[in-house]
Amino acid sequence: MENTDKSLIDAHCRGEREAFGQVVRRYGGSLLGYLTKMSGSRELAEDLFQETFKRVHEKAHTFRGGRLGPWLFKIATRVALNGLQRRRRLRVVSLDQQLDCAEGRNKESGAAAVADNSCEPSEEVIRAEQKEQVRQAIELLPEKQRAALVLAYYQQLSYREVAEVLGCSIGTVKTQMYRALRTLAQKLPDVSGETK
Amino acid sequence: MKGHLTERELIEYQFKLASEGLAERMAGHLQECGKCRESLERLKQKFAALDLLREDFEVSEDLISQVLEQVSEPVKSKVVSFRRPAWIGAAAAVLLVGSLLLVAQLRKSSGPARESVRGPIARQDVAQPAPAYKPLPMERKPFGKAAKDEGRGAVEGLAGVRKRGLAEEQIPEQPPFAPASAIELVVLPRRENVQITIYNSADLTLVRERRNLTLKKGWNWLQFMWANTLIDPTSLHLEPLEQRDKIDIQQLVFPARLRELGRWLIRSEVGGQVPFEITYFTSGLSWRAFYMGTLSADEQKMKLQGYVRVANNSGEDYENAQTRLIVGQVHILDEIAKLARRQYPYGSPLPRAAGIGGRDYAWGLREEDREKVPLLGDELLVGGLFRDAKRFHRKEIRKEGLSEYFLYTIEGTETIPDKWGKRLLSFEEDEIEVKSLYKYDEERYGQQTIRFVSFANDEEHNLGKTPIPNGDVKIYGLADREGHLSYVGGTGIKYIPVDEEVELNLGPARLVEVEPTLMGFKTANYVFDRNKDIAGWDEIRTWKIEITNTRTLAVEIEITRSFGTAYWSLKANIPYEKHDVTHARFKLTVEPRSKRTFDYTVTTYRGVREEALTE
Repeated sequence: MENTDKSLIDAHCRGEREAFGQVVRRYGGSLLGYLTKMSGSRELAEDLFQETFKRVHEKAHTFRGGRLGPWLFKIATRVALNGLQRRRRLRVVSLDQQLDCAEGRNKESGAAAVADNSCEPSEEVIRAEQKEQVRQAIELLPEKQRAALVLAYYQQLSYREVAEVLGCSIGTVKTQMYRALRTLAQKLPDVSGETK
Repeated sequence: MKGHLTERELIEYQFKLASEGLAERMAGHLQECGKCRESLERLKQKFAALDLLREDFEVSEDLISQVLEQVSEPVKSKVVSFRRPAWIGAAAAVLLVGSLLLVAQLRKSSGPARESVRGPIARQDVAQPAPAYKPLPMERKPFGKAAKDEGRGAVEGLAGVRKRGLAEEQIPEQPPFAPASAIELVVLPRRENVQITIYNSADLTLVRERRNLTLKKGWNWLQFMWANTLIDPTSLHLEPLEQRDKIDIQQLVFPARLRELGRWLIRSEVGGQVPFEITYFTSGLSWRAFYMGTLSADEQKMKLQGYVRVANNSGEDYENAQTRLIVGQVHILDEIAKLARRQYPYGSPLPRAAGIGGRDYAWGLREEDREKVPLLGDELLVGGLFRDAKRFHRKEIRKEGLSEYFLYTIEGTETIPDKWGKRLLSFEEDEIEVKSLYKYDEERYGQQTIRFVSFANDEEHNLGKTPIPNGDVKIYGLADREGHLSYVGGTGIKYIPVDEEVELNLGPARLVEVEPTLMGFKTANYVFDRNKDIAGWDEIRTWKIEITNTRTLAVEIEITRSFGTAYWSLKANIPYEKHDVTHARFKLTVEPRSKRTFDYTVTTYRGVREEALTE
């Protein structure tokens, strides 16, 4: 039978190392995705990821049960916001993000096009460009708006859970979300591939 | 609902941001209004782009093991809060007062206290219960007030150092025997600050850390442990930063049977807290530099940011460390990591006495290497490392040595935990004038145009303050008016000294193409020898070179043509220069979104016709 989140955290508190490994494996992917979208850089996200789980380890005894996901996202959000504040200067010019993008673009335009014969290479290139535009549009959002959007849209948390994670009211979350979407509506590429 | 839904309302409807009542009204309206349904469809299509980033992230096993590594310490115990009845507080207060009175009574009746301080490197309390404790010789004869003072130990240290002359108290001249157990030890307290200097080329890092030790007057043993780290025990050095004339570091011993620890014997004429500096070498710390250049819209200027990534695999956490990085080659004799893992720091203790006082550092080295031992500068750099090794020839490389490599200091301090990497901004310069140049040279780059960006590491280019270390450079350009960046190209650079020029090869340029076409070929001017055989001739080739620039900026291009022989002459409809004996070079500018063509005719001379050129 699969262990519940609470039993895993309890086991970890008792010193069972494997339990924490299960938590990392269970939630690692979504947390890493969240941190990557928040930071715009895979490398930075991995640093934040480690820091997040370090804090989870330190605060494990404060987990009172319920859904572990929002609790983890709450810690990750604090870590990410603190981390990004320190690296604010890097945000616009994040080398790794650009590297990731550049590498990603190459991979998609090359390897993916070869692997998937149904797609024209040019379509793959356009798709990669669009992806890059979306990534940049999200990255340019203010941090709170970005967090609300990523949590609600990509991580599929309810607005109530997002409010819990961000430590604010549901109304505030909806306002942040609307502002984020309003900005994105101006910047997101059309499906035809053209940008406003 | 009156009128059509606004964009705001559509967004609120689509993303469930509206209240339930409003959402119902909007749904009703949408059922009836085709135009609003179309608008909603367009909106959905627009936001469908968000799904492009909906992807599964996989966490690598490396990352998971790094996470698990850092959480290997036990979890903090759970704190359960409860309402305290008032009597608990009162009882606690009574217990506290009682305990204090009891401790005070015990202190009066017992002998000198022993140190029990947690050392961050030792990571354990080394002071053990000592039922069979025998006072050291100096403690057998307490001198009135002095005995009381010694008994206070660390408590006295908090009050500061007390200066007392030798005339007041006598310290036995004979040092105590090296303790085999951990009794009567001063264990390293936390670092006050730490500085690390990473010599990248040699997997060598110099660590200088400051700690406040609490000494008692007389002989003190100080224990240093390096278990699970890559610290080179042969490089350990301890130096008081105050009261130097009253504190003497006598020896460093490595007790047999106790692995990965060393003990210093310190003779102190003062009791109390004294700041010390500990220096040692470790391996496992490394750094690499990389750069990001952002070209301005007209590609005449560039913003250059330099980063370093410091990785720590030394087994030790460095908190709030001032980080310095050395560029250049350092000559070392042993790999620090190997020294760190040796069972005995100086080999087996059995055949000979161990310790810095007992043998010199170059023990075990080849004769010719003994003179090569570098001290990496002076005492400033290594804190007087190996000062006791009198036989050592102190190499005069301090100033010269420094000119061989360069020291970078990272501003502020950084915490670099073990197994972590950290990226730091090392410099950021705007408005660096750059020159973009495209090159076409089939011999070197094949049939493609290569883009270069060049600048100089000098004051004119807002640089020139320090050399620029090796590293990868990625260049970005502005993709649109909103400041989005696009990747232009990347390359590796080698160490750029001050005032040197650098040319970055950014790889093939797809938007600038060069297409050479052979338009005509003929031979002429045959020369025959006596036997009527051909002894020489000319080959005449006419080439058309077409350059296509699809960029929105004018480009400067350099086209190099090879003729495969030193005997050639050229006629062209644009200027050229003879690049070398077998090559000619054309330089021209091509306007934005345009084509430019030029022709040249090259005559190459074969056989005895080669003489025609010299004539």
